This record gives sequence, C-alpha cells and structure tokens, in this order.
Amino acid sequence: MKLFEYQAKELFEQIEIPVPNRTFIKGLEGMAEAAGQIGFPCVLKAQVLQGGRGKAGLIKLVSNIEEASNQAESIFSKAKNMSGLLIEEAIQIEKELYVSITADPVTGKAMMMACSEGGMDIEEIAKDIPERIHKIYIDLSKGIQPYQVRGLLYEMGIDEKLIGQGTKILQDLYNVFRTYEAELVEINPLIVTKDGKLIAGDGKVSIDDNALFRHPQFKATEAYYENDAEYEAAEEGIPYIQFDGEIGLMCAGAGLTNTVFDLVNDYGGKVANYLEFGGPNYRKAKKAMDIMMKNDIKILLIVTFGTIARADVMAEGIVEAIKELNPPFPIVAAIRGTGEEKAHELLRSAGIEPLIDTEEAVKKAIALSGGVKQ
Amino acid sequence: MSIILDQFTRVLVQGITGKEGSFWTKHMIDYGTNVVAGVTPGREGQYAAGVPVFHTVERAVRNIPVDASLLFVPPRFAKEALFEALDAGIKKVVILCDGIPLHDALQMRKAAIDAGAMVIGGNTSGIISMGQAMMGFFPYWLERVYRPGRIGIMTRSGSLTNEVTAEVVRAGFGASSLIGIGGDPVPLTRFAEVLPLFQADPNTDAVVLIGELGGTMEEEVAEAIEKKIFTKPLVAFLGGRTAPKGKKMGHAGAIITAGKGTVQDKMLALRNAGALVAERPRQVGTLLESILTSKI
Repeated sequence: MKLFEYQAKELFEQIEIPVPNRTFIKGLEGMAEAAGQIGFPCVLKAQVLQGGRGKAGLIKLVSNIEEASNQAESIFSKAKNMSGLLIEEAIQIEKELYVSITADPVTGKAMMMACSEGGMDIEEIAKDIPERIHKIYIDLSKGIQPYQVRGLLYEMGIDEKLIGQGTKILQDLYNVFRTYEAELVEINPLIVTKDGKLIAGDGKVSIDDNALFRHPQFKATEAYYENDAEYEAAEEGIPYIQFDGEIGLMCAGAGLTNTVFDLVNDYGGKVANYLEFGGPNYRKAKKAMDIMMKNDIKILLIVTFGTIARADVMAEGIVEAIKELNPPFPIVAAIRGTGEEKAHELLRSAGIEPLIDTEEAVKKAIALSGGVKQ
Repeated sequence: MSIILDQFTRVLVQGITGKEGSFWTKHMIDYGTNVVAGVTPGREGQYAAGVPVFHTVERAVRNIPVDASLLFVPPRFAKEALFEALDAGIKKVVILCDGIPLHDALQMRKAAIDAGAMVIGGNTSGIISMGQAMMGFFPYWLERVYRPGRIGIMTRSGSLTNEVTAEVVRAGFGASSLIGIGGDPVPLTRFAEVLPLFQADPNTDAVVLIGELGGTMEEEVAEAIEKKIFTKPLVAFLGGRTAPKGKKMGHAGAIITAGKGTVQDKMLALRNAGALVAERPRQVGTLLESILTSKI
C-alpha cells in the first residue's frame, strides 16, 4: 500500500527526519489561511500516488495569495484521485540527493541505495551511469550500523560537514523501513539547503500489503485506487486492473492471467479489464461477476487451471452468478483442473460450452468481441 | 530419479492436524510420499493421516529421523515455523502459504542461506517428483498434466504450470521433478539455485522454466547457462510479455518497474544465452520435440 507524501512525511517527522513546515488540506476551504501560516513563497503539491507530478503540473511554486488560490484551483480541477493538497515552505536548494531502501531478494537483506545526484532524473542516471548509485546491504537481524552509513556517504562524496546529519537521517530512514514493514522507502530529493542542512523534500513509503495486519493504522480509501471497480475489487482482496478494450478477462492465478492477456493481444483482441479470482478468491466467482458487470464489456473470457482453486467450485459460482445477475454479455469458458468433470457439467447446464484449450477459448472470445482490431 | 524429493525422503508435516494439512497429507501418502511424522503443538500422542504427531519439531526429530519438512501454516507463522525446522537441523523445507510478510521473507531467506538449507516457497503448490512423492498440493490424478518422464520443470506460478505442463505432456513428454519455487517477491530458493540439481540428475534430459515479469531470476538462469553451470537444453515460457509498465499484475513478484524485469528483457537474455524461448504455452511442446529425440 503506497502512502501519500503527506503521510510519509508524518512518519518521517515522528522518527525525527527533518521535513519542511507544511499543512495538508483536503479541499479549497481554508487554503488562504493555511498558505498564510506557511508564508510565501510556498509550494503547492497535489497529493496523488502517481509519479511525475512536477511534469504534470501538479506541483507549483507560488509567491502570493492570489497566485496560490489560482494554482490551487487549477490543481484541484486537474488532478485525479487526489487526497488533498500539501502546502509547504519553499526550501532554498543547494543540491539534491537521492536515497531509498528496498528488499534485496537475492541476499535476504535490506538494500539502501544513494546517489549524490537526486531529483527528477534519477531513473536516467540509474540506467546510464549505474556506478553513481551506491549501495549497502543491511542484515535485518543485526540492524543498520553507523559505519555502513558513513561508508555510503563518503562513497557518494558529499560534504564532510553533512556526514553527521546524513548518518542520522539514513539510520532513521531505515527505522521507518523496519518499523512499518515497508517494501520501499525513498527520499527524492534529499535536499542540501543553502545553509548546509539536510531536509526531506519528498517522501515515498509503500507498506507491504502482507504485513498490514500488523499495522492497522493504515487503511486504504477510494483515493488509493484508479476507479470504483478497482476499489471494490480491492475491498474483496481481488486483483483488478482496468484497460480500454472489449474483452473482460476473469482468470485464476497471476501467471495464467498474464499469459491469457498476452494471447489476447497476440491474436489481435483488446482486453477491457483483468480480474484474478484464483488462490484464496476462488469462491468469489459471484462477486467477480458483479465487478465485471460494472464495465461495458462485449464478452467475458474465463480461463482457469486450478489445483486448490477447484474447477467445480468456480464453475458453481459462475453458474449461480449467471442465474442471479443475468450478465448482458456472452461468456467463453475454459475451466480446468481439480474437479473439472463436474465443472463442465455445470457449465453445460447453464448453456456454456466448456472448452479445454486456452488458445481456442481466446480465439473464440476475440471472434465474439467483433473480431481482430487493427 | 528426481531432485530434492523421492519416495525414500522422510517427510515431516508441520501443521498436520489442520484442515488442509490433514487432507493433503492423505493425498501425499496415497501418491507414495514417505510421510513419517507431523507437528502440532498440544497434539503429541495423537495420530494424523496415520502418522504420529509431536508438540515440536525438535521432539519429532528426536524420535523419528526426518529429511524434509512441509509447512502447512498460515503466512504470519511461516517465519517461526521455518526457524523451528532449521533449528532442528532439517535441511529441506517446503513452504506453501501465500502472503508471507516481506520482512519475514527476507529474514527467512537469510536464515536459509546461513543454515545451508534448501527452502522452497512460499506461495507455491510445492514440489512433486512424478510417480514417486510430492510435498504440497498437486491434482496428480489429472493424467493430462502429471505424467512421469525426463523433463525437469521449475516454475514461479501455479495455474500457468498446469497449462504449460499439459503442453509438455501433449507433445509426448513427461516430467522428472516439478519444483514450484513460488510467486513471492522473495522466493526462498531461486531458479538458478535449482539448476545445478537438474544438471546433476541423470534422469533429467532438459528443463522447462515457467517464469513471469518482475525480478531478475530469469536473467540469473541465462547467466548460469552462459557460465556453463547448466548445459542441458532449456526451454522457457514467460507470462506477461504484453503487460503494461508500472502495473502490478497479480503476484507481488510480478511488478514491472522502469526498464527492469520486463519479459522482453528476460526473453532476450535467455535467447542470447542459448535457451529456447516459447512465445506461447503450446510452443513449449514443439520446442522440446525439436531438440529431444527420446520422449519418455
């Protein structure tokens, strides 16, 4: 679960990582007062989860109240899935650094990455001059050691005067990573101010979804999702992604779903959406159908090859859903695996021809969706 | 023959008295697996699926020799259960559950490396040596999929494995061992660590790799081929070739991030190393036919 910048900065502040003075507002009301308290110039930052906010015009430096009002209005009208607006003091920037911590699956350690050239172009640097990205690996059972962090900062070649502050901030960032069981924490930019201080210009924290049961203070709301169907699916624990084609995909298992997605594209079809009801969700066929019906799809393609996710249980759910919800689109189904004989009987009883072959099912769905698209 | 597991491997089941644990333990025994004991705290003295149950792993191994342990525990208890198995000296562990917290998985991976143990999982159906034994859940009665033969299979996915293995069988081949390393972002054993076992197995002629987007495991396999650590034929199929960037497509392990871990990158690395890469599941069978003369 990705947190918004304002939430990440709250976590940073609690753990004593320096962050700019700021106020978070949910709507335009109270904007003038909030900006007045921060003082001018200040920065308006849309609280959205997408990257590239600067380039999308969702971060604006403003120097007076009138400008602030106009820009805030423009941001509120432009941004989608925005949780609110962060109004922040403008920092005098000397230099921008980059630091992040993620999991390293190879060593089983945490990996801290840092670069003396932070800011918007970090991805290009990582690709073109990877030797400028410095890394240390932290054994979770030992915790982060100050010597590791000092070593990293010296490798980055940052000013000797910043080593003390930097060591503390990077250790604190590791504490955020561990305390909240993050899959990613990132400060980009970590700003060196004109008066020689370090301060977190931005903050990204993504909490591991599998660990949320230990951190119930984080609860996703609609603003965390791209649309209603995604939110509704997520509430049920069902992976769902929206595209813009004609064929609705309801599959079990991420690997098989991705493969069917590839086959539809290869044979010239267009996927409308992608819903995965395998694993622990195999009893949720009816809910899945309900979510699919919120979309304007021309055909529903169901492909499964389950082991624990029993074919007969899934087929039963689908047949029940057809009876109760009466979906307006035709259905092509290849439901295989444990209990498939019974599954096929059930499908026939609902007037659906049970297919065995995935490619045949994909081709049939494309034909029914109106054929190959150019 | 097979890798990791055969009909002689003495298997312990942690969490044997649970609903899934007891159900699948019976199936494992029916298939030929040498299940020797189980562990459920508070149940020592009882029998489950016909084998004795102990309070702790340590108490089990003190009474009955054990080679491998299978964990039927919920994800939040997986770390402790693995540590218990490793502390009792068990060197082969299979963990099935989906949803192990990331920071737990990191510590589990580190502990497995330090113990010199092979820990498979999580988020997997497990491992099966065809016609001999299985640790996990496989509908082995589906003859369309589960047929003994000479192809080693290693996979990150569950349902896609059934799809691809059915194509291997359709082409007239069968499998030696099928190793489900699982779909988590931190698999406790990686593809490249399974390869030397298939290399050494005289009854495996070729390997089928079933991969997907995200991570660097397929690239590591390409490297193992380039370094001649693995010299048998390898056929790969990877799901998610047309996945849009930045979308989290299902598995936590299957995340595409800027320029890394795309299926195109992986396919190129594998092809450059000399592996055969199928564009569709069906091609896995035809590629195997093109390189192997003997089928079973």
